[in-house]
Amino acid sequence: MRKHGFLPKTLAGAAIAAFALTGCRDDGGGGGNGEDDAAGSGPGVSSDPCPDAVNEENGCITLGIITDLTDTFSAVAVPVTEAQEAFWQRVNEEGGIGGFDVQLVIADGEYDPQTTSQRYQEMRSDVLALAQALGSSQVMAILDDMRDDNVIAAPASWNSAWDFEPLIVESGANYCFEAMNGVDWALGERGPIESVMAIGYPTDFGEDAAYGAETAAEANAVEFTQITTPTGQDNQAEAISQVVQNDPDLIVITAGPTETATIVAGAAAEGWQGTAVGSSPTWNPGLLQSDAAPVLEERYFHASPWGPWDYESAGHEAMQEALGDVTPNFAYVMGWAWSYPMLAVLEHAAEMEGGITRENVVAAAEELEEVDYEGILPPEAGLRAGDPNETAYRASVINRVTADAPGGTEMEQDLTVGPTAESYDYSGPCAALD
Amino acid sequence: MTTFAQAILSGTAQGAIYALLALGFVIIYKATHVISFAQPALMVIGGLFSYHFSAVFGLPFWPSLFIAILLGAGLGMLIERLALRPMIGKPVFTLAIITIGVDVVLRVLANRYIGADSRALRYPGGSERYEFLGLALSHRQVTIIVVTLITVVSLALFIRYAKAGLAMRATALDQETALAQGVKVGAMFALAWAIAGGLAAIAGTFIATGSGGIEQDTWIIALKALPAIIIGGLDSLQGAVIGGLAVGIIEQITAVYQAAYLPFLGTNFSLVAPYALMFVVLLIRPYGLFGTKEVERV
Repeated sequence: MRKHGFLPKTLAGAAIAAFALTGCRDDGGGGGNGEDDAAGSGPGVSSDPCPDAVNEENGCITLGIITDLTDTFSAVAVPVTEAQEAFWQRVNEEGGIGGFDVQLVIADGEYDPQTTSQRYQEMRSDVLALAQALGSSQVMAILDDMRDDNVIAAPASWNSAWDFEPLIVESGANYCFEAMNGVDWALGERGPIESVMAIGYPTDFGEDAAYGAETAAEANAVEFTQITTPTGQDNQAEAISQVVQNDPDLIVITAGPTETATIVAGAAAEGWQGTAVGSSPTWNPGLLQSDAAPVLEERYFHASPWGPWDYESAGHEAMQEALGDVTPNFAYVMGWAWSYPMLAVLEHAAEMEGGITRENVVAAAEELEEVDYEGILPPEAGLRAGDPNETAYRASVINRVTADAPGGTEMEQDLTVGPTAESYDYSGPCAALD
Repeated sequence: MTTFAQAILSGTAQGAIYALLALGFVIIYKATHVISFAQPALMVIGGLFSYHFSAVFGLPFWPSLFIAILLGAGLGMLIERLALRPMIGKPVFTLAIITIGVDVVLRVLANRYIGADSRALRYPGGSERYEFLGLALSHRQVTIIVVTLITVVSLALFIRYAKAGLAMRATALDQETALAQGVKVGAMFALAWAIAGGLAAIAGTFIATGSGGIEQDTWIIALKALPAIIIGGLDSLQGAVIGGLAVGIIEQITAVYQAAYLPFLGTNFSLVAPYALMFVVLLIRPYGLFGTKEVERV
């Protein structure tokens, strides 16, 4: 499946071309860059100012973004990327990091592992780290190369495997804990629930959440079934049929927004009367205009790792100010929040001997004890130093769909760790990544 | 039995959309002997026309659909005039490749309009449902079936009785002879593209009223018309309709029964089922159920 977005591709191409032409280049090591307050060297770190630098006296750090501008998750990835551009622009406007401004090189991985790998090969010698790497199997496709290069990445995904990977600096509860919390919440608020069905893509994304839903169902002695479903709203007949035939009280969905809406509305139209909890990527405010909107408002709930667009926090406020006049969308919050750990890592690396280098960035990521999310998440959500069973952040949010709220959702339950997630022995990833 | 009948009904509604798309493919093929790969883009843009006039300009659904049909037809004619007419006489393979290029260009433009959010068109009938004998169809599904029925009958009458329809048939039969008889063959090509554009706009509009609306990858739905036209026969209008309905129904029946009765086929076999049916039909009737058997003199 391929989509071809002219604007995103043009922007991506322009960004890469601008990068190549203006030569925000590696200074070849050796440390230092001529600035008294800037320390750093190696790939992706330059003493020259960034093109269109906010601070002309600063050096330049180049971070890569490999996202999905034209494929399955482009509807989410485009605003995610825009939010990250706004985030790093704000960092630059506030003086940069350790004497450096940050510039982004954006590439379209088309939600495809092979293309993602290709894009990484194109930028691997030019970037300090990846400010966004979208998808789970996509990140797996470049992880060995990242290890060879000492490159860390902020993932645009919430796979449980990232808690066990030192080079990945994730934010918020993963799909697995999110599903556990979703089931626990539904059992308390939408009961009686005697059966749970997990519906998801046949990928690690779907499997991670399905494992969480199954764990919560078993913990609560509730019947559990699982089905997989492909992408495409025209391909959901089987999922709808399975929901109608099995008639589960709760479905836990890990698919795209249109697939989610098609399944929930389609099953409801055929008489299903249960509740649906969708993982983070299942919501898009555009669905409020569809004929599925009344059903979604009535029985679909959006589980997410942090509060929606209008959540009250300094981070949300800063994001809204930085983005300006945009249509509210939860994806902006995702992109913004995902950027905080990378900022914290770079700030920590800047304080280390030798300054900002790939090696110091990796070390800083491993030592991270807290991240200032400006209230979007508590600081301890950034804890990475230690056993994942002790450090992994397990709380998530439940949102309700309403046309009255900006972004189409309002918070039903604030950050909460359900009993299943709280007692879960987290000794390994919920779903193994190949 | 009720489940089976329900699957056929639901499949018929979905198949009606495929039938409209398949008709567009076949009409262009009959007139020009070219398979138009621009139909997916015409479908998406037709749906976006309806969306824009309804959601942005605030027009009611039906006038929006009517305008979308006209604009879709106009776009079809424009494509034929600008991209294909200058290539008359070139191998049909070349023309087919050109339609791929046209499709890509149009979809790039459509994707710029679609952007990040899905473009969903509110259907005026809402979630109202009709129930009888234990079977249920939504207002939208009934409307799709009725509109498709009216469209197909109107098209059949037009081609059978209208002067332009007769000229289209003559062109489809033999372009040179039609030209010798005073038929404006170029105009017939344009008319075929206009009809295909209008049909695609109807299909796109009803897809836009679905739960997911129109996204950047919605164009893929139009490819379901390909097994439909092979099943029905590449040059048969009635074959396109029956092929489209067959694809919708076989998808739905497989979705409902396969997991229980043929689990060894794996999950989501319903996606493969139309192609399996296509292979079976090709084995029995290589030119499709209603296609014309080609005989070449050596």
